[in-house]
Amino acid sequence: MVQQLVDWVDERVDLSGLRHFIAEKGVPIHTQKIWYYLGGMTMFLLAVQIFTGILLLLYYRPSATEAYESVQFIVTRVPFGWLIRNVHSWSANLLMATAFAHFFSVFLLKSYRKPRELTWLTGILLLFLMLGFGFSGYLLPWNEVSFFATKVGTGIAGAVPIGGKFLLRLLRGGDDVTGATLSRFYGLHVAVLPAITTALVALHLLLVQRQGMSVPLSVARKVKAGEPLRQMPFFPNYVLRDVLTWYVAIAIIAALAAFYPWELGKKADPFAAVPPGIRPEWYFLAMFHTLKLLPSHVLGLEGEQLGVVGFGIAALILVLVPFLDRRSNRGESSPVFTALAVLGLTYLVTFTIIGHYAK
Amino acid sequence: MFLVAALLLSARTAAAQTAATPNSCRTCHASLAEARLATPAEVFSQKDIHRESGFGCVDCHGGDQTAADKARAHDAGRGFKGAPSGQAQIATCARCHSDAELMRRFSPRQRVDQAAEYVTSVHGKRLAAGDTQVATCASCHGAHGIRQVNDAKSPVFPTNVATTCGACHASQTHMGRYTLPGGAPLPTNQLAEYQRSVHYAALTTGNDLSAPTCNDCHGNHGAAPPGVGSVANVCGTCHAIFAQKFATSVHQQIFDKGCVECHSNHAVLKPSDEMLGTGAHTICGTCHSGSGDKGAAAADGMRAAIERLKAGVEQSGSLVARLRNAGMEMSAQELALGTARSQLTLARTEMHASDPARLTPIVDSGLKIIADVDAAGDRAEDELQYRRRGLALSLGAILLVVVGLGLKIRQVDRRSREHHERSRRDSG
Amino acid sequence: MGAHGSGTARRWTESLKRIADVRAPLGRAYFDRRTFLDAVLAVGFVSTAAAMAYPVSRFLVPPANAEPATATAVAGKAAALKPNSGLLFRFGNKPGIVVRTADGDVRAFSAVCTHLDCTVQFKTDTSQLWCACHNGTYDLGGNVVSGPPPRALEKFIVNLRGEPGDEEIVVSHA
Repeated sequence: MVQQLVDWVDERVDLSGLRHFIAEKGVPIHTQKIWYYLGGMTMFLLAVQIFTGILLLLYYRPSATEAYESVQFIVTRVPFGWLIRNVHSWSANLLMATAFAHFFSVFLLKSYRKPRELTWLTGILLLFLMLGFGFSGYLLPWNEVSFFATKVGTGIAGAVPIGGKFLLRLLRGGDDVTGATLSRFYGLHVAVLPAITTALVALHLLLVQRQGMSVPLSVARKVKAGEPLRQMPFFPNYVLRDVLTWYVAIAIIAALAAFYPWELGKKADPFAAVPPGIRPEWYFLAMFHTLKLLPSHVLGLEGEQLGVVGFGIAALILVLVPFLDRRSNRGESSPVFTALAVLGLTYLVTFTIIGHYAK
Repeated sequence: MFLVAALLLSARTAAAQTAATPNSCRTCHASLAEARLATPAEVFSQKDIHRESGFGCVDCHGGDQTAADKARAHDAGRGFKGAPSGQAQIATCARCHSDAELMRRFSPRQRVDQAAEYVTSVHGKRLAAGDTQVATCASCHGAHGIRQVNDAKSPVFPTNVATTCGACHASQTHMGRYTLPGGAPLPTNQLAEYQRSVHYAALTTGNDLSAPTCNDCHGNHGAAPPGVGSVANVCGTCHAIFAQKFATSVHQQIFDKGCVECHSNHAVLKPSDEMLGTGAHTICGTCHSGSGDKGAAAADGMRAAIERLKAGVEQSGSLVARLRNAGMEMSAQELALGTARSQLTLARTEMHASDPARLTPIVDSGLKIIADVDAAGDRAEDELQYRRRGLALSLGAILLVVVGLGLKIRQVDRRSREHHERSRRDSG
Repeated sequence: MGAHGSGTARRWTESLKRIADVRAPLGRAYFDRRTFLDAVLAVGFVSTAAAMAYPVSRFLVPPANAEPATATAVAGKAAALKPNSGLLFRFGNKPGIVVRTADGDVRAFSAVCTHLDCTVQFKTDTSQLWCACHNGTYDLGGNVVSGPPPRALEKFIVNLRGEPGDEEIVVSHA
């Protein structure tokens, strides 16, 4: 029966390419192969977000007067609304963690080297998009914490020299964080960012499938020297493993949703004072704390401006890494860039921890 | 010669066209060096309700305002009285302000019995007995530069009354010679006490102009301390329910000063449950104590009941808040807690009847509501637990899949290894 | 094609085999025989899929009260509210009161007294809203008439909805 269906489609759309791909695609086996799972995991968690996000869309109301109440409604009145909402909130955090882990593993293993520069490029952009998703989505419940975190975050955007004020107004939909900001962030979160993400993910996946999996430099050198590359068939060996990790992820998310439900918080009051110790979610904490520690004036520039410029430069360097790292393109080890990756990772982890425990 | 001068003068001043008739009082007094004589004229010409209504110096002081020389202007034959004081001052003001027909032309709503009230006041009685140090009309309202009572800068605007009264009553030098009826020295701490009170706070920072100041309890023109037995009536003009409850209590016959015994007269502070009972810092405890004292038992009983309800409300409140924050639907319970809090308010009102038996049904109904809220809270907790059980079930299914997949992977790996071996052997 | 049970399963595995079967060194049919493991896995997949589909399908069905309770509430049947009477109802987590004046006009207010949050009630003898705690009184426009309340009662919007003769009173925030 299934064969008949497949044949029917094959007569109209040539499936031989697909068949060939399924049979041919292999996944290299070596000591670092565990990192391969991170890409698929990120994609899976993104799918979970899209799915639960669409479900939440059916009940959420993006206005300052109704947003909080609609989330309360979802969580208290809609059957299993608590589950969908908690899954969405927890999976968002797991997605951020996985995206960063995937990014760092690629960075450290230098998978960005030729011919995978475009994959890296789309990947970095996707990482930035994930941060955008996190930031825009965080405001949508319209509670005290999310309101003030957005106020502080968009305030930092205003620190960008040349165009900072314009950027702030663009983000906030005005001079202050209001219902206009909510509308704007909602539009970003459910339409603009998903559209761009879809295109980039499609490109990213297409590139990965076309070019196959990258291997660490040491393995590449051995293959060049004549050693055969050990592989496992993508289908079904690797796919089964991937699905297994996804099921483990589901279990973790479900447990988190049931044991650590996301709180409703207090409804945002734009006229209330900023609660002391307000800070963004953990994935922004390192940047936030760095800005807090910078002195108010450095070399004639405002400290915050310097920080923002610094982050901008770092982002630019990241984007250009495959073009800057000549050595790995030649197949040689590139300790400078390894060091850069380790430094970046250490900085992020340390400052996130410090930012968490700081008063 | 004089006639010519007079004509010229009147013509000149008439030509000057001031709103009223020519005013030689002003022109002369304003040029004097002595402040005592110059200032009143200056002030009167700036902001004064009488001047704005068309009255002039001569309407109170008499004399001739067209005359250019002092003797003529100050001629007693032309009605000049000088600066009236004491009873003469009262009479000067009352000449217009007690005249209903006249006042109707300027301010129909204004009362015309101030002078009559004044006579009944302590100030009035003492003035009649010859004491010239007491307050008269000008002491509070000013003489020149009088503003309307509803002008915020008037010394008798509600927020300023206490300071005005305090100008004398808070001054030891002024009040030192007076004593209370029993002979004790007259206190001068009333202003300071009043400024600690909730009434003062409501008036000054709370923008509540209906909050009482000195004249609201003591009367304004007929000012006197409320007599024994009538304090509760005075407080009861605003705090009606409490006065009603108090009227039914045993304390009604016992207390000399009614509400003041517990709540003080000037330093009326925000009441708290700590005042009730026989422990330390309680008010009841100042009279009641010991095991044989029925009043002590009643006070302790009422305090315990209120504390029980208060603790219940707080506990249930935090339970409901926690569950609500975790995402459970608790609005019915929040509504019920609001009712329970109302019971607490009602209990604190009923307590003024000093009868535990009347307090009990109120507290009990509050406690019943709390019990229902707690039960609902327990059900919500159960629901949260139920979710965890549901989770455990689905985790079981997931575990099955995970284990199954693990085994399948092993099987599939084994096969592909065997296949790999076979194809290698085959290809030689 | 007549057998049921294991025959069907065999055909399924045969079909899947053929999809995966290609003349390439690495491609091979892996479902050689139906194993107990495959059955367990199938059961696992189906049950987890059901465990996920069930909440999602329940989620999609809107709850009985489709509006968030803080925005609108039903105060009761219009016919049950007689002229010169009032009825307390629940509006989210706060009490509300709907009154019908002697002229038949229906109005609704928050029943939370603006003094110390006690619940007001309708007094038929004076046709006013009254708070038992400290004797605060409001007129039927919600304005304070006497007593300690500092502000008027919050007004709500009233609409009637439903079949004529059997309408219900729907109250919403202004």
